[in-house]
Order: sequence, then C-alpha cells, then structure tokens
Amino acid sequence: MSLIEKIKSYSKGASVSSDKKAELNSFLKEGFPTIKDEEWKYSSLKKIISENYSINAIGRNITEAEISNHSLGFNDKIVFVDGVLILNPTIKNVTISNYSEFKSREKDSISKLNYSLAKSGYTIAISDNSIVEDPIEILFFNTIERGFTQYRNIVKIGKNSEAKFIEKIQNINCDVSFVNHFTKIYCAKNSKIEYNKIQNNTSKSRLIDSMDVFQKQDSVCSINTLVFGGEFIRNNLNFEQNGTNAESNMNGVSVLNNSQLADNHTFVDHRSANCRSNEMYKGVYLDNAKGVFNGKIMVRKDSQKIDAFQANNNLLLSENAIINSKPQLEIYADDVKCSHGCTIGQLDENAIFYMRSRGVGSKEANAILTYAFASEAINNITIDAVALLAKNLLAKKLNVDLDVSL
Amino acid sequence: MLKIKDLKAGTENAKILEGVNLEVNAGEIHAIMGPNGSGKSTLSAVIAGNEYFEVESGTLEFDDINLLDLDPEERAHKGIFLSFQYPVEIPGISVSNFIKTSINEGRKARGLDPIPATELLKMMQGKMDLLRMKKGYLSRNMNEGFSGGEKKRNEIFQMAMLEPKLSILDETDSGLDIDALRVVANGVNKLRTKDNATIVITHYQRLLDYIVPDFVHVLYDGRIIRSGGKELAKELEKKGYDWLKKAACK
Repeated sequence: MSLIEKIKSYSKGASVSSDKKAELNSFLKEGFPTIKDEEWKYSSLKKIISENYSINAIGRNITEAEISNHSLGFNDKIVFVDGVLILNPTIKNVTISNYSEFKSREKDSISKLNYSLAKSGYTIAISDNSIVEDPIEILFFNTIERGFTQYRNIVKIGKNSEAKFIEKIQNINCDVSFVNHFTKIYCAKNSKIEYNKIQNNTSKSRLIDSMDVFQKQDSVCSINTLVFGGEFIRNNLNFEQNGTNAESNMNGVSVLNNSQLADNHTFVDHRSANCRSNEMYKGVYLDNAKGVFNGKIMVRKDSQKIDAFQANNNLLLSENAIINSKPQLEIYADDVKCSHGCTIGQLDENAIFYMRSRGVGSKEANAILTYAFASEAINNITIDAVALLAKNLLAKKLNVDLDVSL
Repeated sequence: MLKIKDLKAGTENAKILEGVNLEVNAGEIHAIMGPNGSGKSTLSAVIAGNEYFEVESGTLEFDDINLLDLDPEERAHKGIFLSFQYPVEIPGISVSNFIKTSINEGRKARGLDPIPATELLKMMQGKMDLLRMKKGYLSRNMNEGFSGGEKKRNEIFQMAMLEPKLSILDETDSGLDIDALRVVANGVNKLRTKDNATIVITHYQRLLDYIVPDFVHVLYDGRIIRSGGKELAKELEKKGYDWLKKAACK
C-alpha cells in the first residue's frame, strides 16, 4: 500500500479528531509535492511515497546504552523516541512541556500532514534573562521499522537569554524510515541561540526537516546543518525577522556519497530594517550523490539597511555527482547591501601535488583539501565537540584516517 | 645519491627536457642556472614526481631506486624535498597542522608511530629559531596571505622539519630581500650534513654567495650545456648566457 493510500485509510478512522481529520483531508487534496512544484523540482519524492510505511505503530523502549552510544556526550540530554518524549531532564532555566495550543493552519501540505499525524508536540522553553551555559543535546530515536514518523516541537528562547542546542536524529535499526520533522523556534528580544543539526542517519533513512525561526529585535540565531548520512534529506530552513537589529546565521556542510540526495532550501524574510543575515553552505559530492541548494532572501519594501550575505560553494569529486544551486534574491527596499556567490568546482591539482611532494598521499591530500574547503562553515560552529564531529565524519566519508586537530 | 641519465620529458604539447645528465652525491651542493624557459623548474618537478610532466625516456635513480616507479609522496618518504618556486596557498589548514600531517604520513610510511606532540612542538620551535620566525606563524593558514618572503621561509621551515636527504630549492631566492636571503641561506647551510645533498636552482649568482655550490651547471634548451665549479657562476654573472648559447649551437 502506498503512503497516500495508508494516510487515506487512516483519516477515516474513528480515533482521529475532527480537527485533524479536516487537516488530513486538506493534505489529501494537495498531496505530496511533485517535481512540477518549483520548490521540489530537483528532489523527487515519488519513489519514497510509493512505498509502504506504518504511520501509527508503537515503537519499543530503548536502553540507556543505546542512548549513550549515539550521544555526543553532553550532560543535558532530551530524548525522544518515535516522536514521543521519554527523557525530560532537569535543566536550570529550562522547561519542557507538552503543548496543546500548537494548532494547525500550516501553509504547506507537508506541515499539515505533520500536524495531523503527530502523536504529540513539545515545547522546550528557556526562561527570560537566563544563560544556559552547557549545550543541550536533543536526541530523536526511531525504532519503528518502516515508520513514517512525525516530530513536532517548539523551542522558545526568552528575553535576554542564551542557549545552545545539538539535535541528532538516529535510527536504532537499519531499516527504512521516513521522518517528517517540524520545529518552530521563537527568539525573543535580545536572545541568542545556536542550534546544530546533525543529520547523519543510517543509509535508508529519509527525512523532511522543516524549521521556522521567528526573531524579535536584537536577537541572534545561528543554525548549523551538518548533512552526512541518509538516503534522502530535504531541509526547509525559514527565518522571519520581526524586529530591528536581528541577525540570522546559517551554516551548512553537506558531504554526500553513493546515491545520497540532500536538498537545502533556505529562506530569510527580512521584514524589519537594520537586520543582518549570513549564509555559508558548503557541499561536497562524491560518487552518484546529488545536492540541491536554494537560498532565497527577501528584503521587504521598508526593510532598509539590510546586510545580507549568501555563499554556496560546491565541490564535485566525481564525474557523476550533481549539484543544482540557485540563489534567489528578492529585494524591494532601495538602501540595502546584499551579496551572494555560488561556485561549483574541483580540487586544485597544484595543491594536491604540493601536499604529495611533502609526503601526504593523494587520498589524504584530497581529504585535507576537502576539509579545508568545508572548514569555513565548520569554523562557525562554536561547540568544539560538534566541529570535531564534523571533521571526523568528513574524514570517514573520504575514507581516510586523518587527525586534523592541533 | 641522485643519478639522472639522458632524461627527456615534457608536457603533452611540448618537449622541455631533451637529455639531461646529472649526478649528485651525498654532501654536495649543486647549482643549476640558466635563462628563463630553459627547463630548470621542469627538471625539479620531474624529480619530485609531478604528473603534469611526462617522462619520455632516460633514467632517474635515487639511492639506486628507480624514481620513475614512485608516486610523489613515495619519493618524499625516500627523502626528496622540493621547495616550490610558487608555494601553494591552502586556506583552512594551519602551518603546524600541515607539518604535523606531512611528518606523520612519512613516519607511517616507515612503520613508525606518530610523533609525540611535545617532541613536535620542541622541534618546530628549534627550527623556527633557526629561521628567525615568529611564533604566531604556526597557527596561520598554510601560505594564505603570506608575503613572497614568508612563503619561501615557510618552504625552508618545512625542509628543516622533514630533514630530507635531497633538497631541491627552486628559485628560493626570488622574492627574498637581502636580510631574508641571509637567514634562509644560513638555515640551509646549518642543515647541511655529509649525508644530505642540495640542488639550488636560481637565476642569480647572489644566492650562491651565501650557499656556496660545489658544482654549477647551466641548463639551456633542456640540456646541461656547461658544468663547472663555483667560479662558473661568477663568470655567468659577468658575461650572461649568450656566449654559452652560441657555443651550444655549434
């Protein structure tokens, strides 16, 4: 049974609330996006949704050992299994609660589906005027075989507060999984947040990850997206600046091999004056991997003095690798500074020979240069353990044993 | 140590070396001089194993091993070092990290464990003192934003760290002011032992006042047309190359 068929029959079930039923029907009318949809032109869901998934199966418990196996080792861990909160630690100035007010009215079909199929949703809130010193690790485990799972969470950063997060999605078994991950981040006045997304799941995992960030005045929000593992990854990262002097930072590193596909869609909506955005996405593509980058920057009519920067640099390390890169700037204000650059290239042969002449093998030289290429984005990550993980995953992808720390 | 016999090499489109013969023994310093385009840099690139150049015929041996069978990194592991005329900028990799990697890759090839960090730092400090380099330099990205002189000094620093048997200095003097030249030359002289050898490639006699060669060779049109002692360099400084070119034509 295809996923759509499954959703159809589920929507007729008696246990589904009328509210969610309406949303499901709205989804079913629209369906999943296809490549005819401009925003999904290069990332076809066709094969993925033709397969069979379970949409309301119950997963199993996971053990502490399994958690620590996949953890990056931070003390404060929030753990979800199949979208449901199972570990709610006590962290000073942080409250985690089940929410009910997070209703639908989502704009696109994927989000509608997320709302109507999600078992639950959670809010992670940082209180006002508090600085959470230690990074908080959020782990999402999937245990259901062929599960189509919804995560639905809100992160709220209070006024004048600061926090850092590391989020990781992990399958417990190697079976197919399809995750529809939906997060809203609210940044209050003068707040500061760094949110690191580690996408290094097993080889048959599929992911649609939508993150909407809403920023108030003087807030700074940095989202770092590290894409290494998984069969199909679609990221929708949207920023909405509602208040002056807000800053949005995006760093992305995608390193893909085999037939992996990663599609990074970003959108910054500059709705207020005197704001900034910085975007640095690096892509490395091996084998038959395919990458998509679409970076949209919108500067609204009265949003003067905007300083927006966007860079998307790509390395194609194989004849068969593909990247489709599209900067998309819509500027309606007249006193702004917007710059963007997009490059697609290979490694520098001279540099490779230079390193080989110093005794570094060609595979290692390739890896070092690739690391150097990606490091501009990696260096913007302020959590050492995450930056180190990125370096190690990169070395692993390039199949070299290399220590690049000193 | 190094034996080159009737070496012919070039690119796909051009013949550059048209039969070079050269023998370098341990403890010796050889200077290779010659006008622009005579093949000096090609010769050094071929010895180091740059695959951009194809060797058509002839032999290239190092300690009785056929170098032509070896990749550039394997030649480096055997003890060959090329100081580049135009060192490459590698953003994102610090000098210390780069050197650590090249030392450890060399050790790996010889079946040794990585060098302990403290030993490495001590060694770096010693060599930096020798070349009068400032400490902050280690954390800078490899050659990125370096002045011409800094790049060349960085090359000699790597040479000092890697302790090669045969060093080829390709136009190391270009871009150096006289003070830097003295420091670099002093470094090269201090690193000299009876077991290693140096080939100095240069346009100018000036460098040879500081690094005094045992032999001077003139490369012209892909061939060594004259060899002699250090006085040959002085003669070239005075008379230029034309008299040799004419002699070579006959």
